[in-house]
Amino acid sequence: MSLVGSFKAAALDLYRGVLLTPLWWRVSVEQTVTRYRRSLLGPVWMASTTLATAFSLAIVFGSIFGGDAKDNLSFIMIGVVGWSITGGILPEIANTFVNAAGVMQVRSLPLSFHAFQQMSKIFINFMHQVVGLWLVLMLMKLAVVPHWTLLVNLPIALLTGLFVSIPLGMVSVRFRDINYMVGFIAQSLFMLTPVFWRRSQVPETMRWIVDLNPFSHLLEIVRQPLMGAAAPIHDVNASLAFLGVAALLTLISLTLVRTRVVFWL
Amino acid sequence: MTSSIELTDVTLDYNLYSVRAQSLRNTVLNMAVGGRLIQAGKDVTYVRALSNVSLKLNEGDRLAVIGHNGSGKTSLLKILAGIYSPTLGKVDVRGRISSMISISVGLDIEASGLENIRNLAMMQMMSDREIKRRMPAIVEFSGLGAFVHMPLKTYSAGMVARLTFSVATQVDADILIMDEWISAGDADFQKRAADRLNNMVDSAKIVVLATHDYQLAAKVCNKVMTMESGVPTFLGTTEEWLERSSAA
Repeated sequence: MSLVGSFKAAALDLYRGVLLTPLWWRVSVEQTVTRYRRSLLGPVWMASTTLATAFSLAIVFGSIFGGDAKDNLSFIMIGVVGWSITGGILPEIANTFVNAAGVMQVRSLPLSFHAFQQMSKIFINFMHQVVGLWLVLMLMKLAVVPHWTLLVNLPIALLTGLFVSIPLGMVSVRFRDINYMVGFIAQSLFMLTPVFWRRSQVPETMRWIVDLNPFSHLLEIVRQPLMGAAAPIHDVNASLAFLGVAALLTLISLTLVRTRVVFWL
Repeated sequence: MTSSIELTDVTLDYNLYSVRAQSLRNTVLNMAVGGRLIQAGKDVTYVRALSNVSLKLNEGDRLAVIGHNGSGKTSLLKILAGIYSPTLGKVDVRGRISSMISISVGLDIEASGLENIRNLAMMQMMSDREIKRRMPAIVEFSGLGAFVHMPLKTYSAGMVARLTFSVATQVDADILIMDEWISAGDADFQKRAADRLNNMVDSAKIVVLATHDYQLAAKVCNKVMTMESGVPTFLGTTEEWLERSSAA
């Protein structure tokens, strides 16, 4: 196929993925419901892992850093929960096509379908965490009403995840070592991104680590609205740029190797 | 729209980037048993799973694809189902496809038969209302009785085959593609399955069935294609094929 033809097919793949929204949404809901059925509290257990991490980090680092304890607590807890829908999803989305291997070998579905399905599952899981977070914050009388910009910023974060998952998922099935690499990169990013510390706390000379890290901006546009404020405009711009780059990578990778991915499984 | 299938000089190569890598799945390994292994350079080995396959099927045709393990049957089905794109050649498939290539994919062994029927039907793009409407017919045809309420892990392979087949043939599809797992059922089920496939001609459907069960092929299909190492060795009507094999 010509390059133009392949590009059209790539765009069509994304479009068909969108058309299949009822299917991937139903599959994701069904999988979540199944998890509920088999355990006492179902996905609440998964949410509680993140919340437990958030709570522990909030207590330890909140007291190390000093200052207003309550302020630190909600900053860190919301940060960890926000991380779980931004940088924290990297290991999971790297496995997009690995997880879908069984279905991909017997059913003809657009590649983007599997990315949409993965992201919708992550989204459902995230909503559980947000509810859990809210309950904890309410108990401590720290809950605030989220800022309306969350309704714009959360879709930006989800779309970025979607567009990262396609090229990343492709290289992960082609080169199986990538999976392990993504695992440790995500772990390092968690420490290197201001999740449980603030940009203002690091020396001026080290702040480039924060500024050059796309996930620190992406985290901020999710965290700030959850804390009841609009995110700084430079974080929004940086996130949109990141989204644009990811979308471009998705189109390029779909154009070049779309039909070959199934052979790499 | 009339449904049809047309393959023109279809060739399919699997690229194996590193043969020793664990990432190779069973299907590819199986291909290597009967397929032709071709060495190209150091790192890339490729298996020619299909070479120069041409085929034309019209409404009412039921084709049996017969061959040994690794002769390219499943590869051909996957090309028809749109799962694989051919390396060379043209594929023109018109009509809505229902493919049941694997017996177990999409099944959840912890869930009950009913839940699995619902999941399978959902993956075949059936709406909730349609699933509800067709459920009694699916359950009835499967002959599983009270077992539909039991988790799938209590089923035998034949029972799983019944369940999958019942869903596959209840889908409103123009083209039905099925791999050889149909022979997993018992004699009673195979008879019902054969009747069912025969009846499908009335609704003007194309059926492609991979099998090594000659009797099933003779009973159900009006066309036969035999394959060896990815190359079609015979393509014609069932009568011609029966004549040829009895002469040989």
